[in-house]
Amino acid sequence: MAKAEFTVVGTSPARMGGVERVVGKGVYGIDVMLKDQLHGGILRSQYAHAKIVSIDTSEAKALPGVHAVVTAADAPDVRYGRSYLDRYILARNKVRYMGDPVAAVAAETPALVKQALKKIKVLYAPLPVVIDPETTMKPEAPTLHEDMPLPKNLPEGIKVKNVCGFTSVHVGDPEKAMAEADVVVEEAYETKMIHPQYLEPRMTAAQIEPNGRVTVWANAQAPFPVRQEVAKTLGIPLNNVRVISAELGGGFGGKGSGITSGAAIEPICALLAMKAKRPVMIVLDKAEETISTTIRAGAKLYIKTGVKKDGTIVARTGKVVYDAGAYSGFGTQAGARCTNMLGGWYLMPNCHIDGYVVYTNKQVCGPVRGPGGPQAAFAVESHMDSIAAKLGMDPAEFRVKNLPKAGDKIVGVPKLRDVSLGETIRIAKEKIGWGKVKLEKNQGIGMATGSWIESAGPGGGAVVKINEDGSATVHIGKIDMGTIPGFGIPLIVAEELGIPVSDVTVLNVDTDASPWDAGTVGSRGILVSGTACRLAAIDARTQIFKMAASQLEASPDDLEIKDKQIRVRGTPAKSVSLSTIATAAHNIIGEVIGRGYCDNVALMAEEKAHGSSQPFTTHACIVEVDPDTGNVKILKYVAVHDIGFPIHRAAVEGQIEGAAAMSIGQALCEQVVFDNDGRTMNPSFVDYLMPTINMTPRIETTLVPGYPGAGPYGAKGAGEIACVPPLACIANAIFNATGVRVRKLPLSPENVLRALREAGK
Amino acid sequence: MSVIIKTTINGKKVTASAEPSTSLLEFLRDTLEMKGTKLCCNTGECGACTVIFNGMPINSCVTVAADADGAEITTIEGLADGDNLHAVQQAFIDTGAVQCGYCTPGYIISVKALLDRTTKPTAEDIEEAVSGNICRCTGYAKIIDAIHLAANRIAGRA
Amino acid sequence: MEYFAPKSVSEALSLLERHGGQAKVIAGGTDVMVDIKYKEEPGCLVNIKAISGLSGIKENNGGLHIGPLTTIREIETSALVRDKLPVLWEAAHQFASLQIRNTATIGGNICRASPSGETLPPLLVLEAKGNLAFADKESREAFTSFFSGPGKTSLGAKGLLTGIEIPYPAAGSRGVYLKHAVRGAMDIAMVGVAVLITPDAAKNNVQDVRIGLGAVAPTPIRAAKTEALLRGKPLTPALLKQAAAMAASEASPIDDQRSSAEYRRWIVEALTRRGLAQTWKAATGKEVA
Repeated sequence: MAKAEFTVVGTSPARMGGVERVVGKGVYGIDVMLKDQLHGGILRSQYAHAKIVSIDTSEAKALPGVHAVVTAADAPDVRYGRSYLDRYILARNKVRYMGDPVAAVAAETPALVKQALKKIKVLYAPLPVVIDPETTMKPEAPTLHEDMPLPKNLPEGIKVKNVCGFTSVHVGDPEKAMAEADVVVEEAYETKMIHPQYLEPRMTAAQIEPNGRVTVWANAQAPFPVRQEVAKTLGIPLNNVRVISAELGGGFGGKGSGITSGAAIEPICALLAMKAKRPVMIVLDKAEETISTTIRAGAKLYIKTGVKKDGTIVARTGKVVYDAGAYSGFGTQAGARCTNMLGGWYLMPNCHIDGYVVYTNKQVCGPVRGPGGPQAAFAVESHMDSIAAKLGMDPAEFRVKNLPKAGDKIVGVPKLRDVSLGETIRIAKEKIGWGKVKLEKNQGIGMATGSWIESAGPGGGAVVKINEDGSATVHIGKIDMGTIPGFGIPLIVAEELGIPVSDVTVLNVDTDASPWDAGTVGSRGILVSGTACRLAAIDARTQIFKMAASQLEASPDDLEIKDKQIRVRGTPAKSVSLSTIATAAHNIIGEVIGRGYCDNVALMAEEKAHGSSQPFTTHACIVEVDPDTGNVKILKYVAVHDIGFPIHRAAVEGQIEGAAAMSIGQALCEQVVFDNDGRTMNPSFVDYLMPTINMTPRIETTLVPGYPGAGPYGAKGAGEIACVPPLACIANAIFNATGVRVRKLPLSPENVLRALREAGK
Repeated sequence: MSVIIKTTINGKKVTASAEPSTSLLEFLRDTLEMKGTKLCCNTGECGACTVIFNGMPINSCVTVAADADGAEITTIEGLADGDNLHAVQQAFIDTGAVQCGYCTPGYIISVKALLDRTTKPTAEDIEEAVSGNICRCTGYAKIIDAIHLAANRIAGRA
Repeated sequence: MEYFAPKSVSEALSLLERHGGQAKVIAGGTDVMVDIKYKEEPGCLVNIKAISGLSGIKENNGGLHIGPLTTIREIETSALVRDKLPVLWEAAHQFASLQIRNTATIGGNICRASPSGETLPPLLVLEAKGNLAFADKESREAFTSFFSGPGKTSLGAKGLLTGIEIPYPAAGSRGVYLKHAVRGAMDIAMVGVAVLITPDAAKNNVQDVRIGLGAVAPTPIRAAKTEALLRGKPLTPALLKQAAAMAASEASPIDDQRSSAEYRRWIVEALTRRGLAQTWKAATGKEVA
């Protein structure tokens, strides 16, 4: 990418929408208030696994002030799901986890909703509960989904049960290579269920319009999938459903997989509104969210690597058991990603990894920030240090020994165009003081690298309209939760159109007006919508230049826009205002409307021809371990990232710092805890421990330039990647401090102390 | 049975009634339709609902609304002076401390209360002031920058 | 739910007498509001904050009198408490968040009778007493006998705590409150250990020692056997180790979502050892040797 001088791209202006947020305007879904609205609430299963024998809603319906009570009987017999259609919006015949929605109520007040829910009588026939996926996989385990087939690609002769996804990675001849290796290290790692715990509770509101259309307000990251699934599960024509997304108070993927995210509160709410003939709003309580909405799956990771004495990796075999939860949700995809990533992002000449995605009677896996990545990296990067220790090699040296170079392939990426991994390691070493810093007793230093496959995938478009005053209104299908609509998009459009950033308005997503989009997920914001907006702005500019060219008696190729003036390059006196042309357009083409989209096919072809550039990263940290209590304190933390070109620098740093902090939480204090009945024992913030400011180190971010990505101006996605390294980074530092390897998350004081004691320390 | 609450919010006298079980947060958001103060954990664990109550930052979600009777309350809506943002509000924007922005009102209130006490906050002071405010987006780095920037501006050092 | 805001102790007591188990007393509300939202709404709420004379910290006959409506923040910012009862100050300083401390009261923390209540181990080692009022009588009781189980105290459903009396520890005493948590003050204590040591005049032997343990039994407890082991002896490393192990054995923790019982015992041992060593050094200037 040729170096160019930008006007606004690459700077860090104030966030669009910042003022509203700091003065407390109600921009979020939870702030919606509909005229005449009723309150809605959901009755959830009392058992983690049971048959529903009967549901009696008569007493609830009879309560004054209750306007609707619904069960599966009120909805069509239609299933939903991502890869497996294994779920109903309200449980039909069976419940499979305690968050499973069984019935719903709309009433005048929240207190009445509570009362009515209590009056719904559900008779259950409990079934055996399984919460460990390795147990659930066994042929003798109870069956969770009677009519779901096993994956077609399961190898012959494998006897398993309750498996809803299978991935197998094969490279070369790992058995042979492993047998010939000088040193073999074999380990097992375990991660736990995490809830994304965005701060804004999930909500939805639904209203039946006078013409019968259904309007749904949702704080969803993916409004278009919500529209499609609401229409499908309620048997309504697609065009009769309109989804309006507010701005989100966080999502992190937990609000990102259509109606699966919220266990179908959107269609349930719409159903209530249809029955009650009044608008209905449902707001979930945070404790209710922890038990019912989508989570980051726990996983068991078996990893075995063979190396030569000089540290060259020759083979890897492994197995992933990925806990999908009660329904397949995003489990199949996340489990596949995890399985691929267990192959690492170093040179891997021989490799065989099998990954099973397994049903259990627990919350459902969603596309939570870097789905599958942190789990795989916890194993891969801890394992790298274990191997280095066995070889007596410096962990950084061992990694550098196995770096791919431009043109190489790694697991999951057929061809790398360039490789920034080595440089991120070098810079991380420098920033943390690797080999230089003096460590006190009980202190340790560690590093971990990471990657996140960025490539072709679901797309989305953009429309840029030029208003009469020269300002621009942008329609994209991605929402603002501290993401591109407030940061990168206005810069890109302002840059291409030569107008001030404050003249760019990015609209909230309304499925009636916005272009289709898979949603703000997958680190694809800047790649998809950024590219689309850039092309749409260029398209608008092209139309503008065509009209201005005749007026200025110049060729369109000689024109530029600066400060809202269209002028002939080199002859600034010959100019016309953007607003003049935009207004003139009314009588020429109607309106200047630019359209753009991210060309998936072209992207795939480019990757095939020239390879792809991956957003490599290295994190490093210094920790102090209290040998009496197991408490781990992070003293210093550095994150070195190649994200191509940062379009809005503060935004990119913010994503990195936030994602790293989130994984630091997963490392040190977060997990969903269950009893043997499948009951969540820590649903509220009292015992679901989120990282507070006093225990979060300052994440010192360094961006590595020079490896342009496929996004506009060479940008790469930055939303998820920093979630990948921290778990192993901290575990490696603990290993360095104590000589003890903790292989089970979280690295809580109890787990660390237990590991220390078991090792005789 | 309702309770009558006569209170002062952002300098304005307000009289309204609410059920006794109503929390101060519900009173603000639902009874008075002031949506600036945010609902999150509802158990006093996250600070999103922080308001200033008789000069002190408190969690409005675990305060009974009836306690507002006779009290002086400042919410996020009361900080700006017309179009002029309070120094803390401006600093949060300037350092990029606002991502999704949901924790922001509670944070700004807690920080304003801190800087009302001291414009030279130590790391300990900051920790004391905002350990009860959770942010899930920023990893806290830019929030700490905003606190220092606001302090410097209020004290005339920047 | 009915609501009352009595203006006097007797008015409050007659409300409690009338409504008994249906009534819930609310002070700061940081616990009670969560109960109202997530458990059963009580029949009536009795807001005692309008009762005058129940708040404040004052010196009283070689000790401090603290009103039950005194907020944790008021205790934390009291120079008197910090100077005279530092072990209580330390608990207030590690109590949840600033927002919570601004409204939570010491009376509320006591009457909640959570096994992990932050102020409770310090009150036990300080041998504090509560002034209890009932419709028909008043009494004073040491907190060492006040708690009978999680959420259960001598107040029953109809009593009111009207004052907390804390005698100053003997001259030369030093104390510490150590809270074990994953994150810090924000967490509910996984284990709480309060230690108070009074050395003899020569600063060679432990004249008196009191050890309070929180979150490791159905109520906060004193580690009486450990105290007996230590009294009158010089604090040597061997005795320190023995005492720490004994304190762990006096605890009866459970497995719960925060921690296993086994881990809690390890922490009791570690924090008792640390607390004794730290306090001994503060009191005598000497390391345990």
